[in-house]
Amino acid sequence: MIRFEGVKKVYPGNGNTPDILALNDVNLHIRKGEFVFVLGHSGAGKSTFLKLILREEEATEGRVIVNGRDLSTIKQRDIPYLRRGLGVVFQDFRLIPTMTAYENVAFAMRVTNIPERQIKRRVPYVLNLVGLTGKAHSYPAELSGGEQQRVALARALVHSPPIIIADEPTGNIDPELSVEIMELLQAINSVGTTVVVVTHERALARHFNKRTIMIDHGEVVTDARPKRKREVTFK
Amino acid sequence: MKWSSFKYLTKQGLHSMVQNRLMTVASVGVLTACLIITGIAALLSVNVNSFVDYLSDQNEFEVYLNDGADQTVVDAFVQSVSGLGNVAEVEYVSKAQAVEEMRSWMGEDGDLLESYAGEGNASNPLPASVRVRVDDLELLAETVESVKGLGADLIYDVQSPTELSSVLVGMKRAVTYAGWGLVAVLGVVSIVVISNTIRLTVFARRKEINIMKFVGATNAFIRLPFFVEGMAVGAIAGVLSTAVVGGGYYALLRALENPNAAWLGEFTRCMWPFKDVIWIMLGGFVLFGVFIGGVGCATSIRKHLKV
Ligand SMILES: Nc1ncnc2c1ncn2[C@@H]1O[C@H](COP(=O)(O)OP(=O)(O)OP(=O)(O)O)[C@@H](O)[C@H]1O
Ligand SMILES: [Mg+2]
Repeated sequence: MIRFEGVKKVYPGNGNTPDILALNDVNLHIRKGEFVFVLGHSGAGKSTFLKLILREEEATEGRVIVNGRDLSTIKQRDIPYLRRGLGVVFQDFRLIPTMTAYENVAFAMRVTNIPERQIKRRVPYVLNLVGLTGKAHSYPAELSGGEQQRVALARALVHSPPIIIADEPTGNIDPELSVEIMELLQAINSVGTTVVVVTHERALARHFNKRTIMIDHGEVVTDARPKRKREVTFK
Repeated sequence: MKWSSFKYLTKQGLHSMVQNRLMTVASVGVLTACLIITGIAALLSVNVNSFVDYLSDQNEFEVYLNDGADQTVVDAFVQSVSGLGNVAEVEYVSKAQAVEEMRSWMGEDGDLLESYAGEGNASNPLPASVRVRVDDLELLAETVESVKGLGADLIYDVQSPTELSSVLVGMKRAVTYAGWGLVAVLGVVSIVVISNTIRLTVFARRKEINIMKFVGATNAFIRLPFFVEGMAVGAIAGVLSTAVVGGGYYALLRALENPNAAWLGEFTRCMWPFKDVIWIMLGGFVLFGVFIGGVGCATSIRKHLKV
């Protein structure tokens, strides 16, 4: 599903600033159906990791392979198709403020040429899945942080992508809601979708007891699968 | 792209125009102004050209021959002149014909020339001549030289409108170049203006564009509403400027219908008729506007698609 082979990412300096080594020699493989936490301090390189998967940034060295596409050789015109296979819940949700919850989700389908008939069936279904049926016609400003996040999740789910990626899904909401959203992600994972959760909260990763990849200063320092419940090694 | 998507995107583009009314009005205004100036330049250019063409329709010169030239030599000369390049027509006017022409030109007073008339009349003072009509007035001077070269000892004098022709040709060229230059400059100005306005729209919606990119929209899909917007602005400006320039031209033609100066009358007669101009203008302006709207749009959105 997602494979990093000797990946290095350098953000070139602009004359006043030095080059920044954001990721160094990252090797990992996330398989189909896995649930993975990517853990790290602020500035560790987590978002860079995500940007490489989305092909928002290109690896300086090494190869990134996502859904069978080698992103170092991918053609510009194939990038939209790569992204249709990736459902992303951004840290700041990235909802369009002038559109209702329904329209925000429908928008992601329209963008990919899906006929209106199918949109009308699919959008209420996913909104129901994330528990937002009653809020379909509310604008983002009229929704709580947790509800906005669930709209973002609904949008990520709408294409039934094989991979769901969530960037700090618990960052902006209170602990109760974060457990709720994590349980939603788990449910999605249980039907075969690969889920990658990027977070700086160790407690979250510990609580859910899943494979945890820890990044520090751009390097993978641990990549541990729990052998038994609640037994995760941390450096 | 599916038809349903196309419809949806077109609607989005038009919707955005209404949402950003002020911007739309501003860009339509600027583009209309540019098109009006372009239109005036083009009309001036075609009408001056047509006037010059009319004036230069008298594109012939006359070669006067020495008296007593041998007729077979003269015939051979006429023959070789008509073989020259740029020569459209050659007409030999004998001494007797020259008198006849003169008589009819003078009307009743022509009778005074009675005594000179008749073939072979020795007292006839008018020379025989060869009238040469050329194809291209620009090459007149060279053609005159070639004719002179063909029969130097036969020719007594050549009268040609070389001076006038070079003035006319120069005028035509200047008007054409200035017209095209103006059109090119205004075209660039319009593209810059449109692309700046659209850049503002794009900037206002950059977040939306970014989101579109990350949910897998193709560039064509993202671009289409902006194209629709740019081209609609162009089309509206095209229609408006046609109305203004066309209306002005119509009024001008009406005002010149009964001219009080002879030369003005000549000029008016050469002006393009309204019904010939208006459709060309409408088509040209709308196409030009749509083209500029499209190009301006393409240049302003490129940066935001590179994610
Ligand atoms: N576009 C960029 N240009 C230059 N440097 C960058 C750029 N993006 C990130 N960096 C640098 O790369 C390093 C890793 O950044 P990254 O955003 O991946 O961290 P992160 O783990 O996501 O942190 P956080 O938890 O705060 O979001 C940081 O030192 C950051 O300053
Ligand atoms: Mg980050």
